[in-house]
Amino acid sequence: MSDQEPDKDKAALQARLAKLNDALRARDERAAARTPTEAAAKGNSFGRAMSAGLNVFSEFVAAIVVGAFVGWQADAWLGTKPWLMVVFLGLGTAAGFWNIYRIAARKAPSYEEDETPPDGKA
Amino acid sequence: MNPETAAKPNPIEQFELVRLWEHEINGVEVSFTNASLYMLLAALGVVLLMVFATSRKALTPGRGQAAAEMLYEFVAGMVRQIAGEEGMRFFPFVFSLFAFVLIANLIGLFPYTFSVTSQIIVTFGFAVFVMAIVVAYGFYRNGFGFLKLFVPHGVPALVLVVLIPIEIISFLSRPISLSVRLFANMLAGHITLAVFGGFVALLLGAGAWAALAPVPLLAITALYALELLVACLQAFVFSVLTCVYLNDAIHPGH
Repeated sequence: MSDQEPDKDKAALQARLAKLNDALRARDERAAARTPTEAAAKGNSFGRAMSAGLNVFSEFVAAIVVGAFVGWQADAWLGTKPWLMVVFLGLGTAAGFWNIYRIAARKAPSYEEDETPPDGKA
Repeated sequence: MNPETAAKPNPIEQFELVRLWEHEINGVEVSFTNASLYMLLAALGVVLLMVFATSRKALTPGRGQAAAEMLYEFVAGMVRQIAGEEGMRFFPFVFSLFAFVLIANLIGLFPYTFSVTSQIIVTFGFAVFVMAIVVAYGFYRNGFGFLKLFVPHGVPALVLVVLIPIEIISFLSRPISLSVRLFANMLAGHITLAVFGGFVALLLGAGAWAALAPVPLLAITALYALELLVACLQAFVFSVLTCVYLNDAIHPGH
């Protein structure tokens, strides 16, 4: 590097830095838009399938368990054995299907993708 | 994971809690167990990664600093994308959660270690903590408007009578599904590894069948790669869902 025209060099450097900065920012934005899907898309399909299966399982079972528990406790408090438990078990099962529907709707475009939530707003 | 110890390998021996230091306070047991030890190790791992790797603050990051910066930017991008700019106030929380679960999962992959996240009480503790923050912040920010979370809009009143209890049960099931998902993944993976390890031991002790022993050994190698993926993926899923739920607290309207 010659020092004959320091100003010009400096300006050129500034311009290059600005360009680089823009490029980096654009890349970051692209990366940010892509990260969750990318992480899920990595790895083999068996891992994703197992993960998705346990995902659906836990969502479904959890709702039924909660429904049954709420009904059971409400029965114990109100002395209406077994009716509230029956009702809440049904509601819990419905909630389980509702959970699964939401998972399915969330990843409708590529159903086998694992738990990528492009819309947190749901 | 020590499937080869006994004559009969026991794949769930690895989840046993061992009291390393017995102690009681007012009749409540607060012994220091191997779970406590590995939680401390996980926390230490996070601290090592984040504090010491970034202590030099080099302009050209070294290996450790690059890893720490990638982790930071990854989580920051995730929080911003899912919970919005306002969700960034929860960034320290989500990051700690993600880093802790990730490091705990990864530590658990080393043979002879204890996997903290394969204990449901640990994951349930995290999940309940997350939901407590969601509910508390939801009411703090939105007042009773937070309850709009349970009322999907554009639904006739008659359907609402059924749908609101379903939404409430669905909400209550979140901490359970959140914790069971992480717990079940880690548990299933570690048991699978131990069972295949047991096959190797049994085949080696079965005379001529020992010739087949390398087969499950190869399977373990493949499963290990899978477990590595699951360990990272589940830490990621846990924190993504945390962000989704935090987003519900910030924007309860459906």
